[in-house]
Amino acid sequence: MACSGGGSSKVIKSVARQVKPILSLDKADARRRVVNLYKAWYRQMPYVVLEYDIPKNVEQCRQKLREEFDKNRHIKDIRVIDMLVIKGQMELKETVEIWKQKSHIMSYFKETVEPKPQGFLSKFLAGHE
Amino acid sequence: MAAQRAAVRQGLFAFRTLYTSPIRPLSASSAPRLASSSLEKTPAGGPKGKASDTVPKDLKVLLASKDELEHKEKMKGTIMVDVPLDITSISGVPEEHTKSRRVRIFKPCKNAMQSGTSNTKKWKIEFETRERWENALMGWSSSGDPLSNMQIDFSDKDEAVAFCEKNGWTWFVEEPVEKPMKPKSYGANFSWNKRTRVSTK
Repeated sequence: MACSGGGSSKVIKSVARQVKPILSLDKADARRRVVNLYKAWYRQMPYVVLEYDIPKNVEQCRQKLREEFDKNRHIKDIRVIDMLVIKGQMELKETVEIWKQKSHIMSYFKETVEPKPQGFLSKFLAGHE
Repeated sequence: MAAQRAAVRQGLFAFRTLYTSPIRPLSASSAPRLASSSLEKTPAGGPKGKASDTVPKDLKVLLASKDELEHKEKMKGTIMVDVPLDITSISGVPEEHTKSRRVRIFKPCKNAMQSGTSNTKKWKIEFETRERWENALMGWSSSGDPLSNMQIDFSDKDEAVAFCEKNGWTWFVEEPVEKPMKPKSYGANFSWNKRTRVSTK
């Protein structure tokens, strides 16, 4: 029985391959796009705080922005980076044009999300899994 | 306020142009190119017949810098990627369902009540069972698991494995048990040397 966890994994390991590009041709190009997107978001933050009237200040928003970018720091695939940049760009557009609402901005902070029970006993007491 | 927003939009527009176009140094030769091309097009006091001979070019191509054209040409080709494909960050699937799910890759077995072997040719994937409960009102069985009813067929085991890999699921393959077919015939019951006749002689 082949298994992805064990050593007997039969995964296709020869990963170097030719693929069609999305936006960027090399890593430097992709990185430049990410930095551009980050800067655009960074500069937008004062207006986000002002226009959406959220109970956060600019520093907190920028910290969250940093967090969101750092979440994907490990990604090396140029095409995935490009796709994330495209999605980030779309979100920025939605934010700038006020197609979003206050709660959409606040959902980045996940203040209303209850953390899932972790240990065996707390899972059992919560009645899940 | 409105003026501010306009300014922000302008900034966004500037970003978008940056983001859609390749790296262009500020000293790009687009302006001089435009000037020279306009000079070429209007031969001062030239005959009118000649002006119609010039092929009208696409304005975008005409205004594009050398770098832009080069980038556009390269985009038609391919690039080298040396990391395994992982779409978990862009697929929109919640982290809960990319990190903690286990997939069984299998071939369904034959229906024991029928002799046909349909439905046993393709590989399928199946997730581990999550919480299920009986609906309090109607007694229907319920589940909060969005992947529990996902039906995907694969013509090949490796395809299924690749699909699981790119979605970040841990997987295991259950190989089908292939039984050799035993030829059977009714006549064998009356064979002279198989000792299958039990009553008379």
